[in-house]
Amino acid sequence: MPGLSFDNYQRNHFLTTRGYGQPTATSTGTTIVGCKFKGGVVIAADTRATAGPIVADKNCEKLHRLAPKIWCAGAGTAADTEMVTQLIASNLELHSLHQNSQPRVITALTMLKQHLFKYQGHLGAYLIVAGVDPTGAHLLSVQAHGSTDIGQYQSLGSGSLAAMAVLESHWVPDMSKEDAMKLCADAIESGIWNDLGSGSNVDLCVMEVGKDAELYRNHLTPNVRSEKARSYKFARGTTAVLRESIRDILDVEETVITFGSASVDAMEVDA
Amino acid sequence: MNSTVASEYSSEVHSTPIEHRFNPYSDNGGTVLGIAGEDFAVLAGDTRQVVGYSINSRYEPKIFNVGDDIVMTANGFAADGAALIDKFKNQLKWYKFDHNGKKLSIKSAARYIQHLLYGKRFFPYYVSTLIAGLDEEGKGAVYSYDPVGSYEKEQCRAGGAAASLIMPFLDNQVNFKNQYVPGTDGKEKRPLRYLSLDEVLQLVKDAFSSATERHIQVGDGLEIFIVTKEGVRVEYYPLKRD
Amino acid sequence: MNSIAQKYTHTNNNRILNEITSARDGLASTHQLELAPSIQLPPISQPTDFLRAHTDDATNPDCKIKIAHGTTTLAFRFQGGIIVAVDSRATQGNWIASQTVKKVIEINPFLLGTMAGGAADCQYWETWLGTQCRLHELREKERISVAAASKILGNLVYEYKGMGLSMGTMVCGYTKKEGPTIYYVDSDGTRLKGDLFCVGSGQTFAYGVLDSEYKWDLTIEEALYLGKRSILAATHRDAYSGGSVNLFHVAEEGWVFHGNHNVGDIFYDIKEKEKSFNNVDG
Repeated sequence: MPGLSFDNYQRNHFLTTRGYGQPTATSTGTTIVGCKFKGGVVIAADTRATAGPIVADKNCEKLHRLAPKIWCAGAGTAADTEMVTQLIASNLELHSLHQNSQPRVITALTMLKQHLFKYQGHLGAYLIVAGVDPTGAHLLSVQAHGSTDIGQYQSLGSGSLAAMAVLESHWVPDMSKEDAMKLCADAIESGIWNDLGSGSNVDLCVMEVGKDAELYRNHLTPNVRSEKARSYKFARGTTAVLRESIRDILDVEETVITFGSASVDAMEVDA
Repeated sequence: MNSTVASEYSSEVHSTPIEHRFNPYSDNGGTVLGIAGEDFAVLAGDTRQVVGYSINSRYEPKIFNVGDDIVMTANGFAADGAALIDKFKNQLKWYKFDHNGKKLSIKSAARYIQHLLYGKRFFPYYVSTLIAGLDEEGKGAVYSYDPVGSYEKEQCRAGGAAASLIMPFLDNQVNFKNQYVPGTDGKEKRPLRYLSLDEVLQLVKDAFSSATERHIQVGDGLEIFIVTKEGVRVEYYPLKRD
Repeated sequence: MNSIAQKYTHTNNNRILNEITSARDGLASTHQLELAPSIQLPPISQPTDFLRAHTDDATNPDCKIKIAHGTTTLAFRFQGGIIVAVDSRATQGNWIASQTVKKVIEINPFLLGTMAGGAADCQYWETWLGTQCRLHELREKERISVAAASKILGNLVYEYKGMGLSMGTMVCGYTKKEGPTIYYVDSDGTRLKGDLFCVGSGQTFAYGVLDSEYKWDLTIEEALYLGKRSILAATHRDAYSGGSVNLFHVAEEGWVFHGNHNVGDIFYDIKEKEKSFNNVDG
């Protein structure tokens, strides 16, 4: 059977009632944004991944490539955004090969929403999809249950309110590329500072009509780890060695091949 | 024909969540840490206060000089913590009125706080409490409590959100746990010694900057209260704000 | 004091005094003067359900307030008096809260109480028991019997039955008329006199060693070792017990402390000496 297996669904429910909690998936409490500008579109994301209150990854990648010029930013369950994105990227590639044309953003969105709707929200993927295709630049978003949105600017994730506050107060129509990049970066930074689920760095991706997409990995790094006050280097031998065993995994054979003195001279390259 | 797809959802076991009509508790995050030295004690805490994914304040002190060279903190649910500390400060004031301004020893303060916490055994303060000061011999002392008042005098203790991140570090760096004298093949433990104030302050700063890296509820600022025979002194250091 | 003050002041007219007296009335401090403690209850119809929902990590693993639990304690009578041995670990859920807990509470120089279950419950009520025993001495000009002391504790916890106290304790002591005596008292209200008890999450492991090696005729030296060895076995197999072993011997002259023994150290000493624990290398 293709698709997800729900075999353990009832068992897990039963275990929950008996007091055994389910394992928590790494959820990206996240800030992601997107913004259109004159002749293109830009999306951005923070780089913090959390497991409950613990920071699981300080510099993860939340910007995924669906096609060379169609990218999407993901919030929600990390594994779901990753897998759904890879699946749709593959199908999009096959589709464009079959159609013998550049993939379109609306195609990617339709494939995503149909896939997500089928799983009734069990796939926790919240995505901002953006890109350029023969019909121009587009900025769209899709929620886990399959609903979609279109807009000049968008934000999603736990830091979406903080980001939207910046977008709403500084967005203007027909921005330049540089202004749009700055706006997106500022919106993400707002999430980084004010939302506990978001943090670390700003990743950014610019897609401009008639040009290759540009990924700015770690566009801003406002949270560099500070230096420690002390050195925590232990003296060698601090840890007790309880047992030692050395095993030969490979049989090492040494063979010495002697050359004549003439051939040694011949090997010399720069005398 | 069979028009409906067979599904197991109809026989699904529903785990009805326990609904608490009366839930007076919330978690305001934050972390605290106390270390006792030979002739000093420190109590440190971050200054961020949170609820859920939001920051209530980037500077809300939670460590207080409660008088008589005793510093105190009650980390967890901020309202309970504030109530507990206020109650203790108030009682200390009355103690002085009644006993001609007599100084309250940290030992007595510790026992009294047990009574304050246990007084709410069936409606607990949702806090982990720490106090620090100097004992009757002038040596550093840290006392730590569970939410309902069981307490213990200790060399060091971390409490609050990132306690599980900091405490193992302290065990290793303050009490030299799992450290052996090189060359003794794990037979001889690294001998214990009192750390200097400088060393302790470095450990505290490193503990908090590391906790800030990996715990979302810790950050913004670090406030360190230092108790010596000269009195109580406060230091502040910024932490990352993301 | 107040009565003198009242004699010389017109209470109604003295605003400051009124303020002070009313402030004092509102304080809990008046209760401290009486020895009966007052414990606040949540303002709802079922305080016990509230407590269970918020603090009982057995029924609700996600509960916010985790109260320190988990223990192995033992006490046994023998020819030379009583041996009391305990571990020193406190756990809150899966978190080891402390490895240095004092689980033997020195009620007075002749009485010991052990701690299993809720750390605060045991610590609080056994020190309270200490004050009750002292009051008994002052009133009766005679040391309290172990039977009476344990019954004070037993009656107290019975008053709170069903409210959520969690204690499993052994009151151990020596009096002229009773000799060495152990009473087991728990928060259900059970009170038993006996020769040998193990209490706590690691009790079965301790019983295993203790029952197989126990004899009435043990020397003090042998008995101390058996106590230590039984706790060691429990710390080895019970995740909720560990840290170190605290040893006590109770005899006619009162109790004597016989040291704090770190489990990590004595394990390998005992393993080598006894040639036991062969399933462990090192």
